Amino acid sequence: MSTNMTIYLRYWRQSGPKAKGYFEDRTLSTVNEHMSFLEMLDVLNEELQLEGKEPVEFDYDCREGICGSCNLVINGQAHGPKKGTACCQLHMRNYSDGDHITIEPPRASAFPVIKDLVVDRSAFDRIIEAGGYVSVKTGSAQDANAIPIQKNDADLAFDYAACIGCGACVAACPNASASLFTSAKISHLSHLPQGNVERSNRVLAMVEQMEGEGFGDCSNFGECEAVCPKEISIAAIADMRRDYARAVIQG
Amino acid sequence: MPTIIKALKSQVGRKLMTGITGIALMLFLVVHLAGNYAIFASAEAFNIYTKKLESLGILLYMAEAGLLFFVLYHSYLGISIWLGKRKARAVGYEVYKSRGGASRQNVASRSMILSGFTILVFLVVHIWSFKFGETEMIMYAGGEPMRDLRQLVIDSFTIWYIALGYIVVLSLIMLHLFHGAWSAFTSLGVTNKSNTQAFKLGAYIFTILLMLGFIFIPIYIFATGGMGSLIAY
Amino acid sequence: MITLDAKIPDGPLEKKWSRHKKEMKLVAPNNRRKYEIIIVGTGLAGGAAAASMAEMGYKVKSFCIQDSARRAHSIAAQGGINAAKNYPNDGDSVWRLFYDTIKGGDYRSREANVYRLAEVSNNIIDQAVAQGVPFAREYSGLLANRSFGGAQVSRTFYARGQTGQQLLLGAYQAMMRQVELGRIEYYTRHEMFEVVLIDGKARGIITRDLVTGEICQHEADAVILATGGYGNVFYLSTNAKNSNVTAAWRAHKKGALFANPSFVQVHPTCIPVSGDYQSKLTLMSESLRNDGRVWVPRKKGDDRHPNDIPEDERLYYLEEKYPSFGNLVPRDVASRNAKLVCDRGLGIGGTGLAVYLDFRDAIAHDGKDVISAKYGNLFDMYANIAGEDPYTRPMRIFPAVHYTMGGLWVDYNLMTNIPGLFAAGEANFSDHGANRLGASALMQGLSDGYFVLPSTIGNYLADLKPDTRYGTDHEAFDIAAKKAQETIDRLLNINGKRTIIDFHRTLGRIVWDKIGISRTKEGLKEAIADIRSLRDEFWTNVYVPGEKNNYNKYLEFAGRVADFFELAELMAMDALNRNESCGCHLREEFQTEEGEAIRNDKDYSYVSAWEFKNRNGVLEEALHKEELNFEFVELKQRSYK
Repeated sequence: MSTNMTIYLRYWRQSGPKAKGYFEDRTLSTVNEHMSFLEMLDVLNEELQLEGKEPVEFDYDCREGICGSCNLVINGQAHGPKKGTACCQLHMRNYSDGDHITIEPPRASAFPVIKDLVVDRSAFDRIIEAGGYVSVKTGSAQDANAIPIQKNDADLAFDYAACIGCGACVAACPNASASLFTSAKISHLSHLPQGNVERSNRVLAMVEQMEGEGFGDCSNFGECEAVCPKEISIAAIADMRRDYARAVIQG
Repeated sequence: MPTIIKALKSQVGRKLMTGITGIALMLFLVVHLAGNYAIFASAEAFNIYTKKLESLGILLYMAEAGLLFFVLYHSYLGISIWLGKRKARAVGYEVYKSRGGASRQNVASRSMILSGFTILVFLVVHIWSFKFGETEMIMYAGGEPMRDLRQLVIDSFTIWYIALGYIVVLSLIMLHLFHGAWSAFTSLGVTNKSNTQAFKLGAYIFTILLMLGFIFIPIYIFATGGMGSLIAY
Repeated sequence: MITLDAKIPDGPLEKKWSRHKKEMKLVAPNNRRKYEIIIVGTGLAGGAAAASMAEMGYKVKSFCIQDSARRAHSIAAQGGINAAKNYPNDGDSVWRLFYDTIKGGDYRSREANVYRLAEVSNNIIDQAVAQGVPFAREYSGLLANRSFGGAQVSRTFYARGQTGQQLLLGAYQAMMRQVELGRIEYYTRHEMFEVVLIDGKARGIITRDLVTGEICQHEADAVILATGGYGNVFYLSTNAKNSNVTAAWRAHKKGALFANPSFVQVHPTCIPVSGDYQSKLTLMSESLRNDGRVWVPRKKGDDRHPNDIPEDERLYYLEEKYPSFGNLVPRDVASRNAKLVCDRGLGIGGTGLAVYLDFRDAIAHDGKDVISAKYGNLFDMYANIAGEDPYTRPMRIFPAVHYTMGGLWVDYNLMTNIPGLFAAGEANFSDHGANRLGASALMQGLSDGYFVLPSTIGNYLADLKPDTRYGTDHEAFDIAAKKAQETIDRLLNINGKRTIIDFHRTLGRIVWDKIGISRTKEGLKEAIADIRSLRDEFWTNVYVPGEKNNYNKYLEFAGRVADFFELAELMAMDALNRNESCGCHLREEFQTEEGEAIRNDKDYSYVSAWEFKNRNGVLEEALHKEELNFEFVELKQRSYK
């Protein structure tokens, strides 16, 4: 039913954060069209181990496109060629026999390489830490239906809340900006009455943290939206700027 | 609460100011274009218009200073964003490819720094020749002598390489605005999910009309050898 | 000698929790910062507990194996979360949610725990909404509910198909706020290796920093394990690749009892396996069974295109066997019957391990648009993974391991039999009995984390004097750290010929075939023998690549697979001990002629809690029984005919 393909792989190798990296080439001749991209790398790693070599490290967990762990840059595109799809959900039937595939880690100074294709994305945690929450203590909540929220607002909030924090936006941005990630959380919360209270402090703190982490400026390239596995709109970034201006003006 | 200075220096502040200065410069271009068309109004109109501008004195200097500030601020922001990206991505990709689709990466957006820089150089030449360059003097009935900038324009644009150079630079401005006009409104947070397409379309139409307006003059003058019937003598 | 005391408060069912809260000891607010609490795992239970306890003023140390707390596997839960709000006014109540959960668990869970779960369910929804969780809403602006998993009331709150994600992000954000405030020390990419006991009490843990390989020692006044379930013992499951049993198992080996290990839920509607390289299984919402019809060809090896197989040659086995429930029978029944038809050789596809879920009639009846509006995203997901269009060709589905009801034994306070060691969420055994209802996992994780543990932990800590820690130079820490290091060194030095994944896959097949959907005495005995010999081979012939002092994913896997071997054997022992069929546990010897489960309440109405005993390197486990007393509900046999 399915035939084996031969794929020419070229992937980044770096033994540690400070080590010098290089590309390694390898031909895989047992790639099946039903495999996911990461399963192909599993097969690669099994082959490497059977030869007594070190496997290639890459981040993954749920393999169903929701945890945001995987973040490979495949032939120059974050998560590869398929729209709205994390690379764990990318299947090899999107490739053909004889294809050459280059795999690189997301490149950003704020995402230093840990090993091979694994990078440190703790900068994202610190951005959320700076203000990506509603300051409500456990037990102090009122009845869930006490504040009606327009369906449109709730739906819009969800669109932004869908962010999985994979960092593809940073990887794909020509400036390595984290604006989409940061603004998605800001927009999620500011579209809800619960998040509205802390709106000003949140946007100021999160923007400051984002910059402090060493991410680049946003030039409205929109590449982040194009590669986002959850297809989050850069309208979030516009929201963030409006909120920011308002926060500064209101003082 | 950050001070205004701190806010202006932040990433979002810089982007807001890029948008504000960008929009101000676009508005200036509209006014500039309207002025340019005085060349078709009557024999005296263009020179009287420029003379009037010069006679504004302190007001003109203030306006000029303002424009200069906008241009320099806008350029500074552009250059610092461009420099910043090298810091934010110290190691580049071996292979890089846009995904297309929602991406607005194109010749225009990727060449902002190049088109912007060329425009800046042009501005220096342009201002130098119009403001401080040598020109014939002319005197209209009942008036005092004034610089015949109208003749300068006509003479220049009948020379093919000046006309062509002007058109090339104007095309670069158009390229700059193809990304910049829409981008400025996104930078100011005016766009949202539902209106962003409308803003994009509006920005394209605006840019094309503006540039056609500018480019028509050199083309017309060159094509008619400076003797076209639209030009009043 | 261990005596199992569930510490269930006296009094009427609906008063137990409030009375207990009233009677528990408290730690004064000014003293709380003097107590340190370690929480391993940052899913719904761990994340919610960390946030809540830090808010209360305790010093919390939080650990996760992923690169961020937000990636815990709770994030993948799709369907929703139950609560007894009764917003739709369809007759729901705390009692009814309690009753459905007890009955759904086939009467193998504690009444008091389950009632408390139903009771706090409403607070969870309030809390989540206040945090900004964007639940689905009606046009009125009020929260929407749906009926889920065959429940007769609409009590499920949901956020599209990403309810787990949104609830987890709520807990994560609350937790990150406490990190910012300095009340949580936050450790990512750290794996727990050992619990440290001093004077019989849990006083800390040993972790491995997964980036540098460093073995670290952490001290605390109490340790909470919220480390999820052990479904990955099957190798293929819907669990995330990093989900594992290691923290719970290492605690078990230090003396914590492991309860009901054989209770494993298998979800009927997953995308089937396509080949050996397959690394995980993807679940599709069981709501698909509302409109899809399940069938297989009546003829063995019928390899025609499914659309060419005429109606009278199709076996709609669920509709035939269960005329009143049809395709909507509970998860365990649907899964078991899929296996039965495949065992008869009627399975479809290259592997013979799949059945059809057909929307042809639903599309003909309702139109493609209606079906697409209901299931569009699921159909897209299927098309992406399976490479077939479910609008024109029936889906292929097969059951997959999904959730483990078993886990560390805990009392009503969620404390294990080791003082100071608590277990929460899927890592404990407490609330789901022998089968979990849909949309109840999120409820239990958050109930434990937000509302139960923050109350009960104080009751334990109040008896400890504040600031009386021993320091990590206590020899117990060194011994535990040395043990952790030895395990790592041992694994790296085997240098064998077979890969870790190869062993894991082989183990998974044994567990799936013999300790899976249905079990027999012989099969279980074979399983134990097979597991033992495979485990022996593992320890002599596995190849673990790389170094110990560097990031090394396969070294992590090796340690986890080693623990799965031991757990698998205990699962078989537990299944062998339980001479009845209940919930997800089906022993073929104990079923009616028609294949219906026969439960034995007289002899098996107990929680089996296993005590680890290691004699001369041979795994030995001693069984302890916690009898279940049903004072408030009447035990009934389930029937879906």
